[in-house]
Amino acid sequence: MTGFDFSNYNRNAALHAKGVPLPKATSTGTTIVGCIYDNGVVIAADTRATSGPIVADKNCEKLHYIAPKIWCAGAGTAADTEFTTALISSNVELHSLSTGRPPRVITCMTMLKQHLFRYQGHIGAYLVVAGVDPTGVGLYTVHAHGSTDKLPYVTMGSGSLAAMSVFESTWKPNLDRDGAVALCAEAIKAGIFNDLGSGSNVDVCVIEKDKPSQLLRNYIKPNERGQKERNYRFPKGTTAYLNEKVITKEDMKKYVTIEEASGDSNLMEVDM
Amino acid sequence: MVGHGMTGMLGEDGIHVDMNHLKSGEVNLGTSIMAINFKDGVILGADSRTTTGAYIANRVTDKLTQVHDTIWCCRSGSAADTQAVADIVSYHLNMYAIVNNEPPSTQVAAALFQELCYENKDMLSAGIIIAGYDPKHGGQVYSIPLGGSLHKQPYSIGGSGSTYIYGYCDANWKEDMTEEEGINFVRNSLQEAIKWDGSSGGVIRLVVLTSKGAQRHLYLPDTAYTGPGVTN
Amino acid sequence: MTSIGTGYDLSNSVFSPDGRNFQVEYAVKAVENGGTAIGIRCKDGVVLAVEKIITSKLLKPGANKRTATVDRHVGIVSAGLVPDGRHFVSRARDEASSWRSVYKGPIPVSALANRLGSYVQAYTLYSSVRPFGVTAIVGGWDSEAELAVDGQVGSGPESGSGGKMEGAKTGGPGLYMIEPSGLYWGYYGAATGKGRQAAKAELEKLDLSSGTLSLVDGVKEAARIIYVAHEDSKDKEFELEMTWISSLNGPTNGRHEEVPKELLEEAERAAKRALEGEDEEEDANKDVNDSERMEE
Repeated sequence: MTGFDFSNYNRNAALHAKGVPLPKATSTGTTIVGCIYDNGVVIAADTRATSGPIVADKNCEKLHYIAPKIWCAGAGTAADTEFTTALISSNVELHSLSTGRPPRVITCMTMLKQHLFRYQGHIGAYLVVAGVDPTGVGLYTVHAHGSTDKLPYVTMGSGSLAAMSVFESTWKPNLDRDGAVALCAEAIKAGIFNDLGSGSNVDVCVIEKDKPSQLLRNYIKPNERGQKERNYRFPKGTTAYLNEKVITKEDMKKYVTIEEASGDSNLMEVDM
Repeated sequence: MVGHGMTGMLGEDGIHVDMNHLKSGEVNLGTSIMAINFKDGVILGADSRTTTGAYIANRVTDKLTQVHDTIWCCRSGSAADTQAVADIVSYHLNMYAIVNNEPPSTQVAAALFQELCYENKDMLSAGIIIAGYDPKHGGQVYSIPLGGSLHKQPYSIGGSGSTYIYGYCDANWKEDMTEEEGINFVRNSLQEAIKWDGSSGGVIRLVVLTSKGAQRHLYLPDTAYTGPGVTN
Repeated sequence: MTSIGTGYDLSNSVFSPDGRNFQVEYAVKAVENGGTAIGIRCKDGVVLAVEKIITSKLLKPGANKRTATVDRHVGIVSAGLVPDGRHFVSRARDEASSWRSVYKGPIPVSALANRLGSYVQAYTLYSSVRPFGVTAIVGGWDSEAELAVDGQVGSGPESGSGGKMEGAKTGGPGLYMIEPSGLYWGYYGAATGKGRQAAKAELEKLDLSSGTLSLVDGVKEAARIIYVAHEDSKDKEFELEMTWISSLNGPTNGRHEEVPKELLEEAERAAKRALEGEDEEEDANKDVNDSERMEE
């Protein structure tokens, strides 16, 4: 038999019809943010991945590479953000190679929105696209259904409300690099501490004109596991025993058969 | 499905019924938009609120989208759908201008919008108003409500906020207004819509289309929508 | 024929070393054998006329039309292989209909000519096809009125602004000729087929570029020119077929129609008179010359 085998599909459909629930995709309850400043743009993310009520990964990476000077922060379905950004990254590089020009943020944003719109929201990728190109600094949000927004500061994910509250209360125009990084980190921290879906560390990526992009992995670790004051290891001899028997190496032959390996190297060869 | 206010239907309890049957998590333009004819052209206007459920996803949205030099549209309904439709129309109009060696008329833009909105009516929640100026026909306003029909009108209002200003607009509308009168009419109407509609808010954006091209205006809530005015 | 025996004339899409495509040139030859067809762009409309050679007494007079309507406002007349002409018209109808379905309005004559030019040109590129054996004249009238989008509801403001621009010039007559190479140009007056040289000479005398010739006068001139062009093949009988497109407030209301029987017959009578007059003039000139000679 050649071709595809659909028997597993039929089995799954039958199970589902009998009431077995379909497996759930891992959704990254997330805080991601972005903020432009005078000479560049900063994006940041928390590092918690969840699967229902379980923390699936305490230190995952939600900042995705698209091009040397375009990065993307992803929220929503983990697999979808991962594969969508990888696909667009690939296409952006091919596009850049064929045009002989550095890729633009708006090009990347357009490719993402058209891809996501085609899938009518079934690809659960919510993204913050940021970068620097010959036309200047770019910062966009792209929703799973394919809508986009262009704003000076943005937040997405389940922690976006907490993060936005930080931006709306403390953002001011004409930020410098350090001001923008601090503001983004503060917004992510608001997500980490106030949103159940977000947690662990702060990742930051700084993209600045005429400078290589800097990925600041675990820029802040506000949830470092402290030194435990006590441990649960039992001291030797805690368990009582009734008798003791020691077998020496020399006595091994009583229990197993031992054959010496022959020195003839030809024996090891196998005809193929 | 003739008429406007496709998002403005009220249930028995006076709460907005979700006429757009938006998918969960989809971004919605609970909106007040309008476009009018005046003596020398057209004026488009819109609020700036974009919502996902009860959350304002963008408070300074630009719902006035350029599809050609002096052909613009006001978008209401799903942000993703209306952006996609506007992008496709924009592509076709730019191709039209190149192939036929002359800019497209507003009719051509309206026809393209209608084709997309009607043929894909099952998949779209888009209420779009098209307004354009061209030297042959002057200013024109077309409206495409949810079902994909096409209406040529002296002025058009749309979005959830429009339900609150039908009376205001009808009482204050007059033909052949001056630019200043037109701007005031649009701004005052939208101010009223924003006041009564919870899904509308933020700033008021205007675009004035005349033989001189496109001019943008901005009116901010912190100055009671009196300024700063022209922004380009 | 420099091409014969070289092999460069056997396949379409093959250039000869001096840069010619012989298959296209042979197609032009096919056109040059066809009945004369002309078009005149007048100030308030367009006239199309064709000399239909009667190849058999058994053919019903007035049947087997050589002019065709493509869309309400566009007509085509062609010279050359008749079946190729029919296929060309069929394509033109498809193009006009496709334009209507996309843009919800009539296709501008210039856009139609452009699309047909591209279509014909494609038949010079491939070895699996031959070029069109026709040169077609496309005439039409782009509406000068404000055009509604097909299917729209309502009509905008009652007065003043909103699609009713004062004094703006829109629409007008359009006349294009498309050759077997795909080449097309816009013309004041176009002629093709066997009698094209004579027809062109007559068209040039009309001062069409001044835009003063009226449509009704154009009809009469067209009839006369077809009769003049027929002089060189007097032995064959022919039928004159004429169509026209006027402005919206003209006799055809912007539509492509056959010229009414009465007007056509009147134009034919005038054409015959003009020809006889020319003969008489020539005779008269001869007399004058004779008398001058006698005086010597």
